[in-house]
Amino acid sequence: MKHGSDRARVYRACLRLLPPDMRRRFGPEMVAMLLERLDAEPSRGRRALIRIGAFADLLRQAAGLRREARDARGGATAFVGDVRQAVAALRSSPFLTAASVATLGLGIGASTAVFSVADAVLRSPLPVHEPDRLVFVWPEQNGNRTMAELAEAEMRSLELVSGLSSWTLTLTGSGEPRELTGLQVSPNYFRLLGVTPLLGRSFLENEDLPGAADVVVLSHGLWIDAFGGDPEVVGRVIDLSGGEYERRRVVGVMPAGVERLWRDADVWVPLEGDPALDLQSDPSWYVNARLGRLAPDATLEQASEEVRVHARGVQRTLPRIFSVEEAERATVRTLRDVLTQDVRTPILVTLGAVLLVLFIGCFNVANLMLAQSDRRHRDLAVRAALGAGRRRLTRGLLAESGAVGILGGVVGVATAWGLVATLRRFAPPDFPGLQDVGVDAPVLAFALVATLGATLMAGLIPALRAGRVEALSILAGSSRGTAGKGAGRMTSTLVAAQVGLAVVVAVGSGLTLRSLTRLLAVDPGLDGDGVIAFTANPRDGDYPDGEAYQGYFGEVTERIAALPNVESVGGIHLLPGTVDNWSFPTHPEGFTVADDEPTPSVNFRVVRDDYFETVRLPILLGRGVANRDRPDTERVVAVNEAFVRTFWPDVDPLGRTLSIFSASDPSYRVVGVVADVRQHGRKVEPRPEMYFAHGQPPWDNVGMWMMVRLRSGPEPASVAPAIRDVVWSVNADVPVSEMLRLDDALGRSTRGARFLTLLFTAFGGLALALCAVGVFGVTAYVTGRRVGEFGVRVALGSSRIEIVRTSVARAFAPVAVGLALGLAAARLGSDTLSSVLYEIDATDPVTYVGVGALLALVGLMAAVVPAWRAANVDPVRVLGSE
Amino acid sequence: MPRRAAQDHLPLHPLAFRILLALMDGPSYGTRIVDEVERAEGTVRTIYPANLFRRIRDLLSDGLIEEAESPSGADPRRSYVRLTRMGRAVARAEALRLRALVRDAERHDLLPEAR
Repeated sequence: MKHGSDRARVYRACLRLLPPDMRRRFGPEMVAMLLERLDAEPSRGRRALIRIGAFADLLRQAAGLRREARDARGGATAFVGDVRQAVAALRSSPFLTAASVATLGLGIGASTAVFSVADAVLRSPLPVHEPDRLVFVWPEQNGNRTMAELAEAEMRSLELVSGLSSWTLTLTGSGEPRELTGLQVSPNYFRLLGVTPLLGRSFLENEDLPGAADVVVLSHGLWIDAFGGDPEVVGRVIDLSGGEYERRRVVGVMPAGVERLWRDADVWVPLEGDPALDLQSDPSWYVNARLGRLAPDATLEQASEEVRVHARGVQRTLPRIFSVEEAERATVRTLRDVLTQDVRTPILVTLGAVLLVLFIGCFNVANLMLAQSDRRHRDLAVRAALGAGRRRLTRGLLAESGAVGILGGVVGVATAWGLVATLRRFAPPDFPGLQDVGVDAPVLAFALVATLGATLMAGLIPALRAGRVEALSILAGSSRGTAGKGAGRMTSTLVAAQVGLAVVVAVGSGLTLRSLTRLLAVDPGLDGDGVIAFTANPRDGDYPDGEAYQGYFGEVTERIAALPNVESVGGIHLLPGTVDNWSFPTHPEGFTVADDEPTPSVNFRVVRDDYFETVRLPILLGRGVANRDRPDTERVVAVNEAFVRTFWPDVDPLGRTLSIFSASDPSYRVVGVVADVRQHGRKVEPRPEMYFAHGQPPWDNVGMWMMVRLRSGPEPASVAPAIRDVVWSVNADVPVSEMLRLDDALGRSTRGARFLTLLFTAFGGLALALCAVGVFGVTAYVTGRRVGEFGVRVALGSSRIEIVRTSVARAFAPVAVGLALGLAAARLGSDTLSSVLYEIDATDPVTYVGVGALLALVGLMAAVVPAWRAANVDPVRVLGSE
Repeated sequence: MPRRAAQDHLPLHPLAFRILLALMDGPSYGTRIVDEVERAEGTVRTIYPANLFRRIRDLLSDGLIEEAESPSGADPRRSYVRLTRMGRAVARAEALRLRALVRDAERHDLLPEAR
């Protein structure tokens, strides 16, 4: 026996896999049987086969028995049963199912779409080494080249700093003449970015010495567009005759994407400067920004400390240029932060809003399911009575919400796909990073998480409630049941939560909407309707002297004015409504500043021909500057109202003088005062401004934005060819830019706000609609359960109005609670919106009261309709069914 | 009534049917049942203990077989079982079912040599 037991040791041990009852009852006999068989077999090989066979059979039977046991208990395979049951339940109420799937799908889809935008815009990959260690130094202020060098030398937290300055150039000799954006950068720029050229090399150490090198690096886009991607382009000499660059040798081509880092550069050239100059003597005040890279062990906090020291030093050397406050406010900001500064808050706020909408949707579905499960209470009670445990019931309902969730997720991804495609088409083109929006892996991951979260949120509450079924009480009671009481409370809580969230979203959309209304009501100061704008600036070499340059513009203007449908023609050197800005240190007559205060820096514009008439900018006093103001006539200037308010509040400005750069420089006499213009967008208050005549600006040959006012009728696009022909009839080498509507240029500043408001209003509407459905559902449910009682009351003589009133009051209670909580929450959260609101306080009472009233009204309507329907049932029929 | 209940057990697992057949002549126990089943015509597969006792267990719980007293002097590990009335009815019903099936197959000339 002992011997036998040992031979079957493994088999005996494995008997444990069998159900205990079987093991106890048959185990010894099974072992005995195996041993008998082994003893009967003389061949060793066969014996081994029998052992293996017996063992395999044991495993197979154990698995089979386990499966059977689970089926009987209702386990893993019961999952299939759960799903089958869930699908059957969902199919039995197709309307409710469709509503739930659509609600979740919309919520998941909208939040996924917004997430894809946030992901693309805020986390778009920058094609440089460790982009998050690139920082702008003191980005609030322009500077000169020496300031960049000084920052690199003084700030130990930065290893490299490059000055950046953008300029417009003209490329000729490679197809049609084209206007390019050039970027002057320090020779270390590409090393700082950590990019290697696709072709050739980047700049060398000394190529920024004046006249040392005439080199240029091309962007990938320009290399493809203008040079057909020719690898032989390195070494070629190209003609960039805008500005002071003449002919430059191509030394390299950058990989795609590097140009997106700053102002969409087409070419890079070295930022030249004499190393002998110091902070005071360096005249290169056109350096727009300084970009640095954090040293390997340095943190952003260290750099923020150091930049203030650096700025204080600069301010002490140049007290006339920088104020103490400006130096104290100096910061460093990451490249990404600067690139996304205008859109970060709107996008995050929108994401928050859409997630709230998703929550509302989830609560809605939870409520629908709750109502549904309550209606099926008897069914559940019967199942409970038949032995289905609480877990089993809960699981069944979870399977139901899971099925809804999966369908919702599928609809959601499809919705997101559609929304993203739509967004890409209608989003403002200058919205950074939006071109990269797509439904990719992180976005799908978000959709998955949103779906899971939504499913759990929508399914768990009703499932947990249903699990608490007390079979006896329900079976004993009538169809109204008793378990409904708790479910009703849960439903009310959900409705209150829903209303609260909807209030938050609606307050957000109300605030942005009112802000946009205010913004659009702001008069930009000029009338861009019917005005087209374009540039047609000749290359420098074509008209070296001022007289000839003026002659070119004079002839172009004259010929355009002679075209049919053209009402007037003018020119201005900076396009209104954009961020471009030039300013001079200015000394208005009789206005003095203390010695340690900076000289006021005043914006200026250079205009020609009938600019003021063309854009309908009112001349309030005197006259505007015009073509009759020439180099050989008296130097004159027109100023705006803000200038007068700031510098000469109490005196007649006409006839006063001002000088620019230095007080000792020749002065300009004020001949006119014009109305204020919001040159930098509607949000920015007008600043003091000066208008010089194109014939006598502070320097020669300033390029122009031509403005042409058309008589009503033709589309701007239709006159574009005629205008181009006219320009080329004067000079065939001049690049003519695209024709813009001035209206569009002025509208650019509000496009972001409009986009945000559009999204927010859509989400607000969605939240409101979902909320209405929720309240409707709960009232229908509550009144539906009391139909019998109504029947009795009607039979006893109660009026229907009375019944409607009491049931509406009951359904409206959670709405009121939600309203109060929502308004409080909105007040707490609305501060995040402050930065994107224009002239509207985040506490704006009109918005809060309006939203509260609107939601109350919606809630009331949604409550009255089902209550009215319930009150109008035939009492005889209801009582008969009891 | 038993007839209808017998139908409810159909079709039988092939091994269960074999076990019922092996018990037609009186009580038996594991190894002997296996010997008989394996000896019977048409059985190609070796029957291992776990498979056998799983079926025996099912038949017991379905009431088609029941425990029988062991003859005196028998190995105490051997548990004897015998057919119940129900088991006999079910076996018969299964045989009828199979016969009907086979006849059907013959009508379709599936078994030409049987003619």
